[in-house]
Amino acid sequence: MARQPADKPSKSDDSALIRELALLLDETSLTEIEIEREGLRVRVARNISVAASVPSAYMPAAAPAAVAAAAASAGAVADLSKHPGVVPSPMVGTAYWSPEPGAKPFVEVGTKVSAGQTLLIIEAMKTMNQIPSPRAGTVTQILVEDGQPVEFGEPLMIIE
Amino acid sequence: MFDKILIANRGEIALRVLRACKELGISTVAVHSTADADAMHVRLADESVCIGPPPSKDSYLNVPALLAACEITGADAVHPGYGFLSENARFAEILAEHNLEFIGPKAEHIRLMGDKIEAKKTAKRLGIPVVPGSDGAVTAEEDAMAIAKEIGFPVLVKAAAGGGGRGMKVAHTAEELALAITTAANEAKSAFGDASVYLEKYLTKPRHIEIQILGDGRGGAIHLGERDCSLQRRHQKVWEEGPSPVLAAAARAKIGETCAKAMRDMKYLGVGTIEFLYEDGEFYFIEMNTRIQVEHPVTESITDIDLVLEQIRIAAGGDLPAKQDEVAIIGHAIECRINAENPQTFRPSPGRINQFHPPGGLGVRIDSAVYQGYVIPPYYDSLVGKLIVHGKTRQECLMRLRRALDEMVVDGIETTLPLFRALVREPAIIDGDYHIHWLEQYLAGQPPAL
Repeated sequence: MARQPADKPSKSDDSALIRELALLLDETSLTEIEIEREGLRVRVARNISVAASVPSAYMPAAAPAAVAAAAASAGAVADLSKHPGVVPSPMVGTAYWSPEPGAKPFVEVGTKVSAGQTLLIIEAMKTMNQIPSPRAGTVTQILVEDGQPVEFGEPLMIIE
Repeated sequence: MFDKILIANRGEIALRVLRACKELGISTVAVHSTADADAMHVRLADESVCIGPPPSKDSYLNVPALLAACEITGADAVHPGYGFLSENARFAEILAEHNLEFIGPKAEHIRLMGDKIEAKKTAKRLGIPVVPGSDGAVTAEEDAMAIAKEIGFPVLVKAAAGGGGRGMKVAHTAEELALAITTAANEAKSAFGDASVYLEKYLTKPRHIEIQILGDGRGGAIHLGERDCSLQRRHQKVWEEGPSPVLAAAARAKIGETCAKAMRDMKYLGVGTIEFLYEDGEFYFIEMNTRIQVEHPVTESITDIDLVLEQIRIAAGGDLPAKQDEVAIIGHAIECRINAENPQTFRPSPGRINQFHPPGGLGVRIDSAVYQGYVIPPYYDSLVGKLIVHGKTRQECLMRLRRALDEMVVDGIETTLPLFRALVREPAIIDGDYHIHWLEQYLAGQPPAL
């Protein structure tokens, strides 16, 4: 007996499923979802950018936004690592804009800084490390989110 | 089982560890210096973290950076590979203090076997035959002379904190002894920070035969046969094979069981290799390496046991993969360590690999992290890759190795491939008739003493 066309899942059913899975990825901190049912297997995955991904232990509410921001800005940030005004991270850790939660950030875009002035804190294993500006100038770009994990050499800010 | 492993190494071994993690479904974190940003294992890992500039002390040996990388990625275990921090007992302890698992032996055993004098004492206590020598460090010159006369010249002066073939000087006669001791002590002080030296009988034409062991940390241990690593240049292994061309099954079983029993008594955890000099049918313990070794694929080929996978399983509390009577040595395997060096002068040749064709086919394995277009950085070791060939017999293995070496292409840099192509055709090698000085004599153009 010939298979009835109505038995096959339609194309629009497939794309609805994929859309739903993609939404689930964005809403949760999952990086990969795979689902299999009769005649169909779908896998939706998020590419992790070169920067370390956000661990779930740190500020979970901000995590999905931070990952999306990191993924989106990875392309632009890669160019900025050669920028003459770049301040690269001297260590691995988590970047914080303020000396403590709730306090004013050390600097903002537009702030004039002197050489040696603290720009931000990078925390590793409960030690707070103040990161000094390598030069006098103005903060023209802040390239990391508050609470974002950073690696050695990662562009943190542009001071021109 | 671990969720996420941070691979604290680089090059081919980092790729090797990554492969085992993937097969176990474990997430991988590749840490790298700025010089290794394009490394193959960095590309393949689930996550990567740049931990420092090129110098090893600022990157691969940088413990705070490694810990910070574990912290921001949520890794729950660290695999140290070989070299770097793999035999650093303090590193293992620091990881434990941060609730991170170190995939390797217990820190106390790393420490015990890291001190070569203590290691020898321990081996002796556990019933492992040792090289006759001073019972510990030599201090006064008169003591040294008396001990050396008792052992019999020639005598080898060795650094207690050395290992891996470094920090050793030969005194052929009594006249040479004082100078050998002073030189060795000075070199030891500057290389390892510890001037302690000890004396050993210098064997004239021994083979280097090592036994691979595996322990579950709870008193269970097995041996996986031997590797013959006699072909060395400046104490660095160049060609390794298993089984040894000179060891019969009975001798293998005896030394293997001696080693396995010692590991059971120690309650050793993980992989380890016990190295011996073998001369006139006698085994003499030289040192134990408490890590995975470069030449581990030789054993994997002849036993069909994935040593890195088992390392991870055992570290996670798993059982040994087999009982001793289930371990079978099948066929023969040879590994060639191919370096980015001039095949005659051995001058390092870092640079860009323009053409790369690895050989393939049945029984041919390449463990290498290079690829066409890859630039070998000048900051680290010069290993391009390991070619491991397996055959049903040693003869078949040699024919296959010859074919694989002839087929392999690494262009753009100089490599030691021509040396191996010559060795595989050399009668003494084909006969398996060599010892630990053979290769240097061959390279110096002397007809090697048989």
